[in-house]
Amino acid sequence: MKQTDSRTVGRSDGARQRARVLAAALILACQSLSPTVRLSAQLSPHDSALHVLNRLAYGPRPGEADRVAADGVMRWIDRQLSPGKIDDGPLAARERRFKILDYDSGELARIYLDAQRERRAQKRAAAADSMTQKPEPGGPLEQRGRRLAGQFQELAVTRAVLSERQLYEVMVDFWANHFNVFFGKGADRFLTPAYIEQTIRPRALGKFADLLVATAQSPAMLFYLDNWESVAPGSTPPQAMRLRARPLFGPRPMFGRPPLFDPGRDPMRADSLRRQALARMPKGINENYARELLELHTLGVDGGYTQQDVIDVARIFTGWSVRRPQQGGDFEFHDWAHDYGEKVVLGVTFPAGNGMDEGVRLLKLLANHPATMHHVSRELCQRFVNDDPPDGCVDDAVAAWKRSDGDIREVLHAIFRSPDFWAPANVRAKIKTPLEFVVSAARAVGADPDTTPRLAQVVARLGEPLYLHVAPDGYPEREDAWVNSGALLDRMNAAVALAAGRLPGVTVSLDSIVPAAQDAERLIAQANAAVLGGTMSEHTKAVIRRQLSDASDPAQARALAVGLAIGGPEFQRQ
Amino acid sequence: MTISRRVFVKAGGLALVSVGFDPLFLARAAYALHRPTVRPSDRPTLVCLFQRGAVDGLNMIVPHGDPLYYRERPRIAVPESDVVDLDGHFGLHPRLAALKPLWENKSLAAIHAIGSPDSTRSHFDAQDYMESGTPGLKATPDGWLNRYCQHDREHKDTPFRAVAFGPQLPRILAGSAPSLAIDDLQAFGLRAPQPAARDRLTRAFEELYAGSATGLLSTSSQEAFEAVQMLKQVSPGQYQPANGADYPRGRFGKAMMQIAQLIKADLGLQLAFADVTGWDTHVNQGSSEGQLAARLADFGQALAAFAQDLGERLREVVVLTMSEFGRTVRENGNSGTDHGHATAMLVLGGPVNGGRMLGRWPGLDPADRFEGRDVAVTTDFRDLFAEILARHLGAKDLAAIFPGFSPDPARFPGAINI
Repeated sequence: MKQTDSRTVGRSDGARQRARVLAAALILACQSLSPTVRLSAQLSPHDSALHVLNRLAYGPRPGEADRVAADGVMRWIDRQLSPGKIDDGPLAARERRFKILDYDSGELARIYLDAQRERRAQKRAAAADSMTQKPEPGGPLEQRGRRLAGQFQELAVTRAVLSERQLYEVMVDFWANHFNVFFGKGADRFLTPAYIEQTIRPRALGKFADLLVATAQSPAMLFYLDNWESVAPGSTPPQAMRLRARPLFGPRPMFGRPPLFDPGRDPMRADSLRRQALARMPKGINENYARELLELHTLGVDGGYTQQDVIDVARIFTGWSVRRPQQGGDFEFHDWAHDYGEKVVLGVTFPAGNGMDEGVRLLKLLANHPATMHHVSRELCQRFVNDDPPDGCVDDAVAAWKRSDGDIREVLHAIFRSPDFWAPANVRAKIKTPLEFVVSAARAVGADPDTTPRLAQVVARLGEPLYLHVAPDGYPEREDAWVNSGALLDRMNAAVALAAGRLPGVTVSLDSIVPAAQDAERLIAQANAAVLGGTMSEHTKAVIRRQLSDASDPAQARALAVGLAIGGPEFQRQ
Repeated sequence: MTISRRVFVKAGGLALVSVGFDPLFLARAAYALHRPTVRPSDRPTLVCLFQRGAVDGLNMIVPHGDPLYYRERPRIAVPESDVVDLDGHFGLHPRLAALKPLWENKSLAAIHAIGSPDSTRSHFDAQDYMESGTPGLKATPDGWLNRYCQHDREHKDTPFRAVAFGPQLPRILAGSAPSLAIDDLQAFGLRAPQPAARDRLTRAFEELYAGSATGLLSTSSQEAFEAVQMLKQVSPGQYQPANGADYPRGRFGKAMMQIAQLIKADLGLQLAFADVTGWDTHVNQGSSEGQLAARLADFGQALAAFAQDLGERLREVVVLTMSEFGRTVRENGNSGTDHGHATAMLVLGGPVNGGRMLGRWPGLDPADRFEGRDVAVTTDFRDLFAEILARHLGAKDLAAIFPGFSPDPARFPGAINI
């Protein structure tokens, strides 16, 4: 039985089928019998608990693996799949300290534009007084904007550290990368918070189709992938009519619109400004969103679409825009910009004469297309099971997708019940991303971050500045993207700083977890329990023991033991 | 005691041994004496720069002699009066003017209509193909620069042989041959208040990884510790560019400066790699001024500063720029350009057969375009890459570096002086 289970992964169908039946039997046994029944022949309840806490959560907090094991691992998973039923009061209280959540996109836009005006004024002042020119740190308004942006990144880290709804936070991060936007691009500087809070978070465990439609209509995505300016060739925006109709020069009238340009200005310049404004108006389609929608969000790059499909998808989404993006406005369909001609996508005809509804129709078609099911299921298995996801696990996920019409909870449920998820070969087979590394370390030492972006800055230094991946593919999931010489040294530095309590803005309460002591064996045992869930190798113990032999004071000894455990190779795995 | 699978002390580096107190290090040093040695200054260096996001080759190297260029790009074409002419037909974008002197002294060449035989317009697939060196084949596990290292093992003796400047090791250097990723040379290594504490911490982590790490964690950490040990001699914080070179501020300028620094430090750098981003100009890319112009200015100034800084040492260096594909000939609805096919690349350095446009220009006539819309590929990027590996680095087994492709000197674009 032991052998069957470990050898079946990705082998013959018969064997896999057998393993699946076996796992199902075990799961049933776990649910109906005592919670200490083994999930698989190889994993003890404690190991199973560690495994789910490493994958479905951001690592165990002190003592958590024991609690989950005693309580029943499958029961814990089921609870995590219904986050609404988990009390998260302490986190909710903490979230209220994050002022960024009090602002809507419009208010953030104003803050951003104020900061921009301030910067321009400063530049002008500096240019006028070139003698005193030196690099400005940014005025108070700009600093406020930057503080809010940093707070938003820290909020993600804080939720990951403190939330009881761990799987939910993991899925929010998953979708934030799957439907990546770039916090640093123009209006996305103030549209991204609402994107995460109102588009992604409410739908992270719902139907994939709902999430897809919501992202397609989100100002952040429409701006990021340029669709808001994609228009049918030959269409005339109302602004252009106004621009043409509006008096160019002259005194301000009592009624009606003021002239476009200040009469005091050079008329030649004013005229060229007007021509520039007209020239900048959208004149045709933009393929950016259409392509990434097919390639990344839904079908996958090998999903069988053509360049002509990309063009027709772009035509379908002409007019999907944003009302005044520079003021943080909402989604708006521009009738005047829509291409009402016939389109064909993946062999499906979208007849002429349809408006916004054909875009929704297309998204629903894409959401439950077989290529999409496979592509997204594969990504999920890559996240939860193995960088190279076993076919069996992906098949299970796809089957659940079909059964449930793309219900993400059901798909996850299937993955967590797949024998591949529990195969010993897949335990600790993945390397933590920088976010996972930092958050799991913070959880291990009971760290309590404040609203300053210190932990988010560590995540950034390790290569994963949150919401700041420029390209639409999001941060990678595979280990070769994260393991390299420089990154490992940075992780060691972060580990040492955290263990020594040298990260300002992060309160580490090691005293109750690993009390400072001179006794090397006790320190090693406690660091092993807290950081590695008791899985520390003999070699690691020996190295720490040697280092502790000439550590002078107890606090330093503890920092060294914990720092080495977190920065060492075993804690990089999950 | 663990002996490293790879050693790096050269004859010229023996002085290092006397200052290294680490027994591990001494063991490696002793091991190293059996290695062939090369004088570092005899070594050619190749610097590969990836313009991620697909640079608009037509506005970088402007075909100003082609009326179709102006007809297709009414809002974003670079006016003929602004173009820095190169050969009467092509010219540099005005914000690349800093490179003109290098063209004039024959150390800069440009090639147009270069790209992949694969037709994908996906950034990620196209980048992947350009880095794996196997267009159309996704299963290739390693990058072509790494395969070069695997097939030419003579330079194995330094951890600084292949270095990527950035937080991640790019696909092009992925593979079984060792390579470093250095985000910032000055911060590379463990930090501690005193040097003694730092050395102790370094040693502790080194032992930890030597015994408990497996797979990529093991090899990467080993390379890191070797590099840290060697870098102690360089004091990276002290660097002053030579000849008044003025690197632009920002990530890319800093990467170029640190590449120059490593070349001059004689640590055996043979392959350097850096990314430069911001080329995916779907909206308002601008013409002589604007978004693309600002990126090109940063790019050109960093390249010019690099050449200036290296001075005489540019004799041993070739810089190759690449980008996954070009952009549409015709501007799109938003004064930008969408994903296209062929693009332009630059080759810069002492060994370059410069002052010339390379490759064959297919023209912009719709009938001559790829799928009627994009600049057609007339040079497979592997022909240029293979030429540089063969003629600059002396690679012998090109077929092993570019599997499924038969590099033929008859097809080399002629970028390197023979």
